Amino acid sequence: MKIVLTPDWFIGKDLPIYFISLVVLIIISVLAIRSYKLNKKNKGLLNLGIGFGLIALATLAGVFTKLVLYYDIGPAQAIGQAIITSQIFSSVDVFYYLGFFFHNLLFLIGLYIIYRVPKKRLNLGDYVLTLYLLALSALLSVNEGFFYLFNLTSLILLTLIIKHYYKIYKENKFANTKLLLIVFSILALSNFIYIFSQLEILYVLANIIEILSYVILLFLIIRILKHGEKKKPYEHNIRYADNNPRKKRRN
Amino acid sequence: MNIISDMLTIIRGKREGIKPTHLMYKANLSHNQMKLYLNELIKKNLIEKTISKKDNRITITKSGRDFLLQYTRMKEFEKTFGL
Repeated sequence: MKIVLTPDWFIGKDLPIYFISLVVLIIISVLAIRSYKLNKKNKGLLNLGIGFGLIALATLAGVFTKLVLYYDIGPAQAIGQAIITSQIFSSVDVFYYLGFFFHNLLFLIGLYIIYRVPKKRLNLGDYVLTLYLLALSALLSVNEGFFYLFNLTSLILLTLIIKHYYKIYKENKFANTKLLLIVFSILALSNFIYIFSQLEILYVLANIIEILSYVILLFLIIRILKHGEKKKPYEHNIRYADNNPRKKRRN
Repeated sequence: MNIISDMLTIIRGKREGIKPTHLMYKANLSHNQMKLYLNELIKKNLIEKTISKKDNRITITKSGRDFLLQYTRMKEFEKTFGL
């Protein structure tokens, strides 16, 4: 059985992509949660932090699984050997199913939380149903024949997220929101290409496009962080009626 | 929160400190409002008051600068995500 869609010549080369994504996702999650600590009234910040945090965890699960699969290292060997001895599965199968299932599930829940951020709260039943469907999608896509289900579900969630941020961008015309829109659009494009990733070249292309989205996300984070260091030109008379930035923003 | 950040921004703009009356005008606050906010900011160690024979001046502390930095980043983050 082919355990991953990674072409042989690309094995190991995709790991740096995962690492970079992981770092970027952790930074944005921490930034959102720290912002929430400053303004606890804004639960959206917390939800964003949790959403990106779950995607970071998903990426971590992906890195760990691929490390085990590619290099058959450490505890995986011991656990795998024990399982082989008891003739249940091969070590590779166990890590493949568990690792990628958690990767898929956490990624989808993370995206769903980001999608839900601006929306009103649902009742418990709706959340349970959604979680069940996401888990089903994550579980089925671990099988070789249905691998595309995960990317298809991600693509649908990303399309909904893009629609939301496009609406926000139309209202605020803010460069950072535009960048965010680009990030999610590129990520959606990579997921679209992943659907056809049984073709080796498309798998590699999707990987490259995915890393591009995380690089732009990193650029966006740097812009946000740098903004805090800028001194505003109006800071000497900030609350004057004729020079009030809030008043200007309304125009 | 917005008023506090605006006050801190004004104070940060004056390296040698700002007189309370100037701050009151620049922040467009009433005397009572400003007194209330100043006490809060001093209590939280975000600003400090230097009393001399010549005049009283308010300066921003390191915690105040850090707070302002975090606050500005938070606002930028909120604006980016439309929150």
